[in-house]
This record gives sequence, C-alpha cells and structure tokens, in this order.
Amino acid sequence: MDIELSAEDLAFRDEVRGFFRDNAYKPGADYNQWRLDWFAKAREKGGWDVPKWPTEFGGPGWTPTQHYIWEQETAVANLPWDLPFGIGMLAPVLMAYGNAEQQERFLPDIRARKVNWCQGYSEPGAGSDLASLKTKAVLSDDGSHYTVNGTKIWTTMAHIADWIFCLTRTDDSGKKQEGITFLLFPMKQEGIEVKPIITLGGAHSVNTVFITDVKVPVENRIGEEGKGWTYAKGLLQHERTGLAGISRSIIALEKLKEQARTVKRGNATLLDDPGFRAKVAELEVDLMAAEYTELRSLASASAGAAPGPESSILKLKGTEIQQRIQKLTVEAGGIYSAAWGGKPVGPSFARGGMAGYLASRAYTIYGGASEVQKDVIAKNVLGIKSSK
Amino acid sequence: MNFELSDEQKLLQDSVARFVQDNYDLEKRTKLVATKQGFSDDHWKTMAELGWLSLPFAEAQGGFGGNQIDTMVVMEQLGKGLVLEPFFASVVLGAAVLKRAADDAQLSTLAPGVIDGSSQLTLAYAEEQARFDLHDVVTTARRDGDGFVLNGQKSMVANAATATHLIVSARTSGGQIDEQGISLFLVEAGADGLSVDSFPTVDGLRASEVRLENVRVGADALIGELDRGFPVLNAAANDAILALAAEAVGCMEVLYKDTVAYTQEREQFDHPLSDFQVLQHRMVEMFMEYEQCRSLLYRATLEAAQGDTAEAQRAVHALKHMVGKTGIFIGENAVQLHGGMGMTEELRIGHYFKRLLVIDAQFGNADYHLQKFAA
Ligand SMILES: Cc1cc2nc3c(=O)[nH]c(=O)nc-3n(C[C@H](O)[C@H](O)[C@H](O)COP(=O)(O)OP(=O)(O)OC[C@H]3O[C@@H](n4cnc5c(N)ncnc54)[C@H](O)[C@@H]3O)c2cc1C
Repeated sequence: MDIELSAEDLAFRDEVRGFFRDNAYKPGADYNQWRLDWFAKAREKGGWDVPKWPTEFGGPGWTPTQHYIWEQETAVANLPWDLPFGIGMLAPVLMAYGNAEQQERFLPDIRARKVNWCQGYSEPGAGSDLASLKTKAVLSDDGSHYTVNGTKIWTTMAHIADWIFCLTRTDDSGKKQEGITFLLFPMKQEGIEVKPIITLGGAHSVNTVFITDVKVPVENRIGEEGKGWTYAKGLLQHERTGLAGISRSIIALEKLKEQARTVKRGNATLLDDPGFRAKVAELEVDLMAAEYTELRSLASASAGAAPGPESSILKLKGTEIQQRIQKLTVEAGGIYSAAWGGKPVGPSFARGGMAGYLASRAYTIYGGASEVQKDVIAKNVLGIKSSK
Repeated sequence: MNFELSDEQKLLQDSVARFVQDNYDLEKRTKLVATKQGFSDDHWKTMAELGWLSLPFAEAQGGFGGNQIDTMVVMEQLGKGLVLEPFFASVVLGAAVLKRAADDAQLSTLAPGVIDGSSQLTLAYAEEQARFDLHDVVTTARRDGDGFVLNGQKSMVANAATATHLIVSARTSGGQIDEQGISLFLVEAGADGLSVDSFPTVDGLRASEVRLENVRVGADALIGELDRGFPVLNAAANDAILALAAEAVGCMEVLYKDTVAYTQEREQFDHPLSDFQVLQHRMVEMFMEYEQCRSLLYRATLEAAQGDTAEAQRAVHALKHMVGKTGIFIGENAVQLHGGMGMTEELRIGHYFKRLLVIDAQFGNADYHLQKFAA
C-alpha cells in the first residue's frame, strides 16, 4: 500500500495542467472551433481526448494514478463541453461487440466529437424494469432491414443528437431479457419525432422520442439479434462508474465553503454557523472516504481484476454526496435561492443554486435508481437470494 | 381536549376547499403563473366576496374576528391548491402588523380596502445582510419635519408589485442589530423614491427587491410606537410561520397521498411499485413525518392563539424547524418514488416540492429555528 505520487506522476500532473492552461478558451473566440481544436490537440498528446479508451483503440493507457490525476485536474479546469453517450457509453459496446466495419464507421466521428449520440433505452413502461421494453423491430422478409416502431422516453439530448443507440424488441416469445436487439440509426429522419420534457430545474435536456416505421439496415445492428440485453448491461456498467463524480464533488464542496464565507453572520460568516459547519464537515468526512473508495476501485480495475465490491457503492454514495452539496448551496443562499429567472438578487452564488439542486434530484433516478441499485448489490455483492 | 374544528371553521374549510377544487388544477395554475401578475384578479375578488380577506380583522372593522386557528384552516387548504393570490402577503403578514400595532385611524383607513380586496398589503422586512434576522436592519427612517424620510433596500418582498401599501421596517435609532430602535412605516405604492423590481420565485409566486430613496412619509405613517417595532415584527413573523406551516402541511398531504396513489398504479417487474417493501416503508415514513408536523402545527397554533408568550415562541421555532426538514424530506422522496416522472413539470408533485423548498427558506430555515429553539 502506497499512495505517494512518484516523480513521474508529478511530472504528468504538471503536463496536464500545462496542457489545460495552454489550450484554455480565450474569450471572444469561436467556441465550437475551440472545442474541436481542443480535442484534436488532446489527441496529439497521445489519446488524451479518449482517456478511458483502451490503447488498441487509441487510448492513452494510463495507470490508475494517472486517471486519478486527470479526474482531479479536469474537475477544476474549464474543459469543452462533452456528452458521455458516444465516448463513454456506445464506444465501449462498439469495441466489445461491434464488427470491424462498424468500429471503423462510427468510432472516428465519436472520437472527433463530430457526431452526437443519444441513448434510447427507457420507455414509458420500461424504466427500472428496462428489460420489459416494447419498441418493436421487425426484420424485413429479405433480411435487409428492420422496421422500428415505439416510444422512448427520458432520452437526454435527443433534440440535438445526430444518432441514437436504441434497444428494441425483436422477439417476445421467451424471457424478457431475450429478444432484445441493439440498433443504431440517425435521428434526423422522417418517422422520428422528438418532444421536449421540461424538468424541475426548468431545463430542457430530456425528451420523448416517437419512432414510427423507421427503417434500419441490418448493418446497423450491433452483434446478434436478440442479444442486445447482454451488450447493454455491459454498457450500464460504464454509465454507472462515470456517475459518482467524487473529484468534482471535492471541488464543489470547496467552492461551497468559499461561498458560505461570503455570507456574513454577525462578526463571523455562515461557515462559522454551527449547524451549517457540521453539515459541511460531515460531507467532507464522507468525501474523504469516497475518494479512497474510488481509488481502490480504480486500482483493482487497472490490475485487470473484476471490479471489487467497493465499486458497487460508488454511484450510490457519489450521487448522494452531490445532492447534499447542492442542498447546502440552496441553504447558503437563504431566501435568495428562491429567486427564479429575472434579475439576480442576493449573493451571486444563490442564482442557479435552486436549479442545480432540483436537477440533482435526478442523480438518484437515472443510471439505475438508488433503490434498485441496492437490490442489485444485495443480490450480486452480498449474495442474498430472494425466496420470492 | 378537542381537536375538532368549530362548525364555522368547517364551513370556512369547505368553502376554501371548494374554491381550490374549482379553480386550481395544475393546468389552470400553470396558466396563471405564466401571466405577468402571476395570479387572478377574479379569484382575488372571489376571496373578498367569500369574506376570507376579512378573516383576521375585528368585527368592529367589518372583519370576521378570526385568530391563528382560523388562518390555519384557510392556509392549509390554500396549500393543497398551491394558490397564487396574495392572501398570505396581505391578510396574514400585513394584517398581523396592523392588528397588533395600528391605531384606530389607521385601521379604519386601511381595513375596509384590505377586506374588499381593493387594497393589498405586504411586509418589507428582509435585507440582504440580515439573512434571517428580523432585527438586522440598515434601512433608515430619519425624522424630517413632522414626518420621516426612508432610505434603504428591502429584499424578497412578497407580492410587492401588486401591493397598494408596504409596511417597511426601518431603523430610527440604535445599531444595525439592535432590537430596540426599529420602527414600522406604511409606504404607499407609487410613492416618490420607491422602486419595486419584481421577479418570479421558483414556486411560481412573485417577490420584489424594493428600494427606498428619500421616500417621504407623514407622521401618520408610523405604525405602533417609535423604536418599538421589533416585538410587533416578531409577532407578525410568528403568525407568518404558523400560516406557512399550515400551507406546508397541506402541500405534504398532497405529496404523500399522490405518491401512495402513483406507486399503486405504476408497474415495474410485473408488480405495482407499492409491492416493494422498501418503498412501502419510505411512504410510511413520509406519512409519519407528515402527521408529526400536523401535531406540532396544532400545538404551536393553539399556543400562539393564547397570546404572544415565550411558550408559544418556542413552539413556533420547533414547528418551523420540523416543517422545513420534513417538507424537503417528503418532497425529495415523492420525486424519488415517482422516478423520472417526478422530475417533470407535468406532474403536480414537483410544484408542491418547490413550494416546500421556498417555505423552508421563508422566515428562517430549519437550521435557524433549531438553533433559536436550543438557545
Ligand atoms: C434527467 C434524466 C435523464 C435520463 N436520461 C436517459 C437517457 O438518456 N436514456 C435513457 O434511456 N434513459 C434516461 N433516463 C431514464 C432513467 O434511466 C429512468 O428514469 C430510470 O431507469 C428509472 O425509471 P423510471 O423513471 O421509469 O422509474 P420507475 O422504474 O418507475 O421507478 C420509480 C421508483 O420506484 C423504485 N423502484 C422501481 N423498481 C423497484 C424495485 N424492484 N424495488 C424497489 N424500488 C423500486 C425506483 O427506485 C424509483 O424510486 C433519464 C432519466 C432522468 C430523470
């Protein structure tokens, strides 16, 4: 056991910092151009544009420590916006189950951030019980294409996505996990209608997607027909490990402390208020532990071992911590956190605090709702067999 | 011992419940929220006609002669509908000050308008640096001839845009956080030097930043005694807390009941969600906390109705702490148990949750009142 950063690690950290500094956004510049250039330059560094990809697909092959350093540095740096769907979710499936033609066709544009993907899994009737999905895909008699009909819901960024990776049902005669097929198709085509859903924070990020008689060539099927569930389950694993956000929470908590220090209470500040201070301290304690839980998980993953039991708690703990930080931000804003739209009133951080808090309520719902995650841990990690 | 409402209170309760039933489904409410004013003049007239706006005023002033218990009855029902009209600002906050401190002349000028709805009151008490402390006041009122000149800024004033009269706390002597030296003034909308900058709050209601720049008022604008406004302000805040707590209990009831109903309808894994024990227990906890809030609401309200005593004050602190904490607990879990649907603006639960979040922040949050209680 040893967690000292080696000289090489420190040099790596400086290099990362230097890269972020040298390629920072300059006010006034064309944002989109900067974004694409940024990823291109990160690529030239040797796969820094795709840190989690394996080396055979161009990833950097970092040690766990280097991943950890990257996480920490990205939490403070101002990186170009990025969506997880292509890079983090679909790409691993393509690498594991796609054929060479598909990998060649899709991975380069994902990597260059040229094509935006969305994830078409959930349906009105299939949320936690994803395997009960009903969107139907029927293979044509000549075997050349599927015709897809159904409704997807909660599809994040469907309104800007170019493509969707979609779970469809090709067979409903057997177990519900069987007969699911993994298809890819473009979003901008006739037969696809995207309807916005406005969420509590007032934002539009999720949508309902109505799919009517959309033809999908068989070349766009990942792997075998009816095996989509297996592929998707692997992918959910990738989704969940990305959701803990421990490094970001550590930074967010520091920011919260700074904000609380600007709120005067008599001769002291809100951070000296015993109630508030205790809650901040509890969060700090939890984060200290969670950071090491994440490191343990990283270490075992990089040693090639199956993720240890500690990995299973990361999404639950991480999202709960994020929500608590958001809640304290609202508390710090006092009554000003209630102001909505219009002009800024009260301390500057209060603006947006409420929207952030409300949006954070979804963290324990998507990527596996917490209650269901706990069921999975009880079964898979604790080995508890249900007699039902 | 008796926790039954009187016949008169039951009639009142029914009448508010019927109004909510007829006028406040989510769709109608959403339309009103989107208007500039954020509530309906017609509803306001209806409230006047039904006599609700006269509730706290004495019979001598044409009022109903009600106390905190009557206000509780109304506010709980208004909470169930997330009603937008400025009943709280005018008939709770404003009237609480007038009742305690206004002289006969002031009452006879103001009460009739409030009762028939043509006047609307609000209370401008909060200041940015004060956080939740009512006695932290830097807005000043300087003597000028036989009147006063007010200068300063008031924050998050409820419904100030439509108020015809603002009651403003201002410092007439003492240091920034002295309880002594605070006075209350009546400022009419449109007064020279008064600016009202309005915006929506997350719960769909309206608040304003109010700036006073050399606003001149006459001697008759002083409500109550000079320098002794704080006890009045504090008692009005207690009334406000009781009313908000009643509203919150109304919101909580909707939230836990909607959640129980939803989990029985929604099926996953070939079962209604309500079959899952972990969700059953969560809903039982929501219900338990809700009942506890109702008990404390009764306790604090009954004690306060006996007078502004130290005992009542303690109960009010306890209540506001519990309502803040429980409201958020119930709101968060209602959303969680609805899954993705809980996150949408299409279901009403999110709107009740947002109201509960704001109620926690109004007049001191859960932490603030726990510390006051423990002090
Ligand atoms: C902001 C947001 C973004 C999203 N983005 C996407 C996306 O891009 N693509 C996509 O496909 N999906 C997306 N989702 C959908 C998300 O994956 C689902 O919301 C999630 O799977 C939960 O399903 P549900 O909403 O139908 O809730 P339900 O499954 O109906 O669950 C409701 C409640 O019941 C509980 N519950 C369910 N089953 C059990 C059980 N067996 N035991 C105990 N408790 C149970 C849940 O924990 C939850 O609290 C998103 C959701 C949100 C809110």
